[in-house]
Amino acid sequence: MMQIIVQGLLLSGLYALIAMGFMLIFSIGRTLNLAYGAYIMVGGYIYFWLSQQLGMPKIVGFAGAVMVGALMGFLKHRLIVKPLKGDAVAVEISTLILAIIMQSVMVLVFGDASKILLPIIPGVVTVAGAQVTFNILAATVMSWIIIAALYAFVRGTHIGRAMQAVSMDEKGAAISGVDPDKINMITWAISGALGAAGGVFFASYTQLSPQMWVAPVIISIAIVIVGGIGSIIGTLIVAHIIGFLEVSIVALWAPELRGVFTMLLIIGVLVMRPQGLFGREEH
Amino acid sequence: MAMLEVKNLCAFYGKAQALSDVSISVEQGETIAIVGANGAGKSTLLDSVMGLVKNTGSIHLDGQDITGKKTGHMVRAGIGYAPERFNLFPHMTVRDNLMVGAYTARTDIKKNMAAVHRLFPRLAERESQETSTQSGGERQMVSLGRALMSSPRVLLVDEPTIGLAPKVVGEIAAVLKRLSAELGLTVIITEQNANFALSLASRLYVLEGGHVTATGTADELSKDDQLAKSYFGA
Repeated sequence: MMQIIVQGLLLSGLYALIAMGFMLIFSIGRTLNLAYGAYIMVGGYIYFWLSQQLGMPKIVGFAGAVMVGALMGFLKHRLIVKPLKGDAVAVEISTLILAIIMQSVMVLVFGDASKILLPIIPGVVTVAGAQVTFNILAATVMSWIIIAALYAFVRGTHIGRAMQAVSMDEKGAAISGVDPDKINMITWAISGALGAAGGVFFASYTQLSPQMWVAPVIISIAIVIVGGIGSIIGTLIVAHIIGFLEVSIVALWAPELRGVFTMLLIIGVLVMRPQGLFGREEH
Repeated sequence: MAMLEVKNLCAFYGKAQALSDVSISVEQGETIAIVGANGAGKSTLLDSVMGLVKNTGSIHLDGQDITGKKTGHMVRAGIGYAPERFNLFPHMTVRDNLMVGAYTARTDIKKNMAAVHRLFPRLAERESQETSTQSGGERQMVSLGRALMSSPRVLLVDEPTIGLAPKVVGEIAAVLKRLSAELGLTVIITEQNANFALSLASRLYVLEGGHVTATGTADELSKDDQLAKSYFGA
């Protein structure tokens, strides 16, 4: 039982980190960014390249991954989202195509075979009787730090408030002197950075492969749909619901059913509460 | 020199022209009103001044040419806007709505917040309330307060009385009077209710079908039988 609680808590922290960047774009940019997984994949590979292949310090590898993720988000906004503004379907199709292109680029550069990312912090610790790697523990702690920082940024800074304002009423934001384009650009860059940071931890939890971008997108979509648009706390809580659900199913029932109940949860929420458990109805 | 001068303004929604050669000017500290029926182009005129609608013509603020500038530039230049539908941020608190208004005037937050609370004591009492749960009158106060947080020199107020109870209309009118009297603001109000507009404005512009069809003081306009009948209930 304790093993389930500890593993659930750790997996949930990782899921929350992965979903946070996706939620930002979905809430503020109103875009279902299907290429979000590409940030995660590229983040993992950049970290692998810098810290394992080039032998740079891990912190440099992590910072490099975050910066490349932010740059990808910025470029995606400037080159795809902004020119296609107002055409949500075109944006979604374009972002999906971009993810597939990025997958091909990773195959070309790093090969098709999966790679093992060495633990960011090696070693094992026993927590409440459960064996836990320092790696996943570090991922969870880092998740909480990043999420707390994001929450403070969105709630307590002028740019954070402007991000909320743009998501709620773009004209209202504009007449307050906020440039919605600039705020969207910043949001895309932050989302890319969060995705890449999540990618480093996700790859160290699973493994690095050019196909690894698909699963985090599905997890992110599930968390945001169940949690609802625009709620950092909702995203955090639902990440825990889904994390614990998956760990419990694997431990108590059958590993093959791991994602099935998450999918059923999505359908249930869509039917019974389309705005999500913590979302608000749109005005 | 006029504080705000709009010359030959034409505004467009796609290919449809909503305003034709509209010219207005307002002096420092003066309050003027644009009156007209629904669809006359009043909101389009204010949206155009704010750079929200595609337009041609010229706009000068205190002698400075701000024609064609983006909305953010207009706000930084000193134009505040309280639109007809408020365009508030429904799931943010009153305080956070006001703080967004301070986006371009961060050094004046304390002073402006105190001024807003002085004008609208109710906003100070309810600063933690989400605006989605507020009455129309309170939202109008937040909308005006948010505009004031940007340290404007000119305030544009679009139909401030629409849908409000008579008591609240009185409160809003009293505040609008104080804006020019106490803060020295230049105010442009649009109204369908010409009598309300007359109680505040020194001069009126009548807008019909996207054209300015008459302009003058209340006395001057009331001499025109047709106008008096249409707008002043004579």
